[in-house]
Amino acid sequence: MVWFLFLPLLPYLAWLVWAALRHPIPLSYNWRSLWQRKVSTLSTAGAIAVVVAIFVVVLSLSQGISKAFVSSGRPDQVVILRPNARVELNSTLERDRSRILKTNPFLAQDAQGPLASSECVVVKLLELADGSGSTNVAFRGLEPEGIRMRTQVRLVQGRWFKAGLPELVIPRKMVGRFANLGVGKSVHFSGQPWAIVGVFDGSGSAFDSEVWTDVEMLMQAHRRSSYSAMLVRLSSPEKIPAFIKFLDEDKRLKLEGKPEAEYYAQQTEAGKPIQILGNLITVILTVGAIFAAMNTMFAAVASRTAEIGTLRALGYRRLEILASFQWEALMLCTLGGILGAGMALWFNGIQTGTTNFETFSDVSFAFTITPNLMGQGVAFSVLMGVLGGFFPAWRASRIPVTEAMKGG
Amino acid sequence: MKFLSIILRSLFRSKRRTILTVLFLAVSIFLVATLQSILATLDGFANNPNSSNRIAVRHKVSLTNMLPLRYADWIRQQSEVDGVMALQWFGGIYKDPSNFFANFAAEPEPIIHIFKEEIAEYSEAEWRDFLRDQNGCIVGEALAKKFAWKVGDVIPLQGTIFPINPRLNLRGIYRSKRSSDEQVLYFHYKLLEEGVPFMKGRVGSFWVRAKHPDDVPRLIERIDRHFGDAVEPTLSETENAFQLAFLKMMGDLSTIIHSITAAVLVAILIVSANTMAMAIRERTTEVAVFRAMGFTSSQMLGILMAEGILLALMGGLSGLGLAWLAAGGLRAGVGTVIPWLTDFTIPVDTMLFCLHVTMGLGILSTFIPAYRVVRRPIVEGLRAL
Repeated sequence: MVWFLFLPLLPYLAWLVWAALRHPIPLSYNWRSLWQRKVSTLSTAGAIAVVVAIFVVVLSLSQGISKAFVSSGRPDQVVILRPNARVELNSTLERDRSRILKTNPFLAQDAQGPLASSECVVVKLLELADGSGSTNVAFRGLEPEGIRMRTQVRLVQGRWFKAGLPELVIPRKMVGRFANLGVGKSVHFSGQPWAIVGVFDGSGSAFDSEVWTDVEMLMQAHRRSSYSAMLVRLSSPEKIPAFIKFLDEDKRLKLEGKPEAEYYAQQTEAGKPIQILGNLITVILTVGAIFAAMNTMFAAVASRTAEIGTLRALGYRRLEILASFQWEALMLCTLGGILGAGMALWFNGIQTGTTNFETFSDVSFAFTITPNLMGQGVAFSVLMGVLGGFFPAWRASRIPVTEAMKGG
Repeated sequence: MKFLSIILRSLFRSKRRTILTVLFLAVSIFLVATLQSILATLDGFANNPNSSNRIAVRHKVSLTNMLPLRYADWIRQQSEVDGVMALQWFGGIYKDPSNFFANFAAEPEPIIHIFKEEIAEYSEAEWRDFLRDQNGCIVGEALAKKFAWKVGDVIPLQGTIFPINPRLNLRGIYRSKRSSDEQVLYFHYKLLEEGVPFMKGRVGSFWVRAKHPDDVPRLIERIDRHFGDAVEPTLSETENAFQLAFLKMMGDLSTIIHSITAAVLVAILIVSANTMAMAIRERTTEVAVFRAMGFTSSQMLGILMAEGILLALMGGLSGLGLAWLAAGGLRAGVGTVIPWLTDFTIPVDTMLFCLHVTMGLGILSTFIPAYRVVRRPIVEGLRAL
């Protein structure tokens, strides 16, 4: 994401590297100069660290949400909905249609029959563990095939629910966030207790935010006679367009099919408000940090006028001085960037959630600070170093020798 | 005040440094002011003084479960009740999902009574037309402007939650005091009930208006007790609590915003302390000369502190100015994605908060270097450079 910002700067950076290798004013000179002004260096690096840390955390937030949806779909599966319903919660699918679909030749088979699961999705209010109220959580009723078809989901504790019994299986991500969820506990709704018999792990997918149970039990509890939607696996991904066309044109069905991957990718919209806010914050903070870096570097240049004059007198050229000070700014900012990326690690693993207003249910996700994100944070600080360091370095290179030697 | 020219002179001793610091402060305060205002705007919805006697009644299990329409009859008979209205979020799309706006199916007659404060101005003739036409709808003026609708236009909505696509006749345009209250479309509940089989005699929520705000808690308690053992139990809460629940669903925004604010303030403190330390260190000799001329050390401390505070204030004020200018842009930009932000402004409280914070930071960042330079023996100061 940050990387493309570097493209216009690439020649300049390449020249900097070349300058450092070819006609070096030793980089150790800059490093030691930075430590000459410890307080000033550390405070600027500190401010940059704060900015980079916020940048990395915000980035991980929006990636966490996107990941939940992007990793949910399989390329050979199709979600079948009522036309225009957009999400399973709003959709209805009658039993007879489900039966017609199950015998469809497009469907893949395994030893136990066609891979198709008629499902029912409802939302229920569950109490949050931190006492701040309750939020809507999606409950999904599945047929046994439905569990097998979600290959990224695996059971980590207890067992799966039994058909015909009021039993629930919950995702591991929800265990800490909601009050009274765990194996052996129960949730009370529709006039009876529903025992929690297992915990599953959805490896970061959208299923990590859903409570699973038997589809017939859930429909009975809600006095529904029709399913919400159906998930089917085709024998190969290439058949998807033909199958979708068939769903649309068959007079008995008149249903809308969506490739599962696409269906979930559309829901990444849920993270949009946070993403927009995050981008806004990052842009503003970056501008601020660039000013701070400039300030420090200008001060550094001003206090070293005599040194610059000496360098020039020794025979270093203007461009080399420019490169040298630019390197110093880069060091300063990268130091801050590394500190900031480290600070962001504190947030790693924190569980939180937001609501997807499309499906009207909660999305659980964790802050995951990956090395890639930290790398982006550091790259970001390099960018600040280039922008914040250029003008002071330019100024340093323009100081006339005679004046510089006089000053001090 | 006689030292003002000294303060100003020394503040602009290094113009570039002062300007860069002011810019940094301005940008940071701009961010803090904007974030805090977003939070304040959102909180404003959950603390709407207009809705103090309104109650939202919905299904206990979740908002997506329906209640029987007949519950309204019992609620209406309660002595504290001033009016009851069935209200259903329709969630229809106008042409494209990006044209998001709130649209509700509501029992038409009580709308203007229940939402007396929101539907502040409307024409009687238009209102009668709306009541007469079951395919009619009314919208707020801001919404009508956004899509250039005028009375008589047909507004096609595509149902997402419900399998109908009503074509509504725009019968009236109302005006409110807040522009976010004008971002709403209401149409006849009957249209939804007759078009959707599973909505026959059912509705998502009732909006109840109590005669007096003091009756609200008692009424909530009574409604929930009465329907507590019913097949479809209810959950009643004040409209503000209902809105708050929605905001909560977006995630813990307030924690995120407060922690970012705190982090930014720390950054400001570090940077401005650095600037002031540089500015004051440069003037060690100068301060010593002033004191040799007879200025007391507390006078010098005062002058230096005033300089720091003035610097911070310049940054803070320009940041607030920026935020104020940007508020309009944010309203138009983010407001379309997060509909709650269509009323976004920088509240006075937030401005005051930011000013206090910048002054505080100015004092904090200047005090230590200023104190050190003032306490230094004059002779040593004179010799310093």
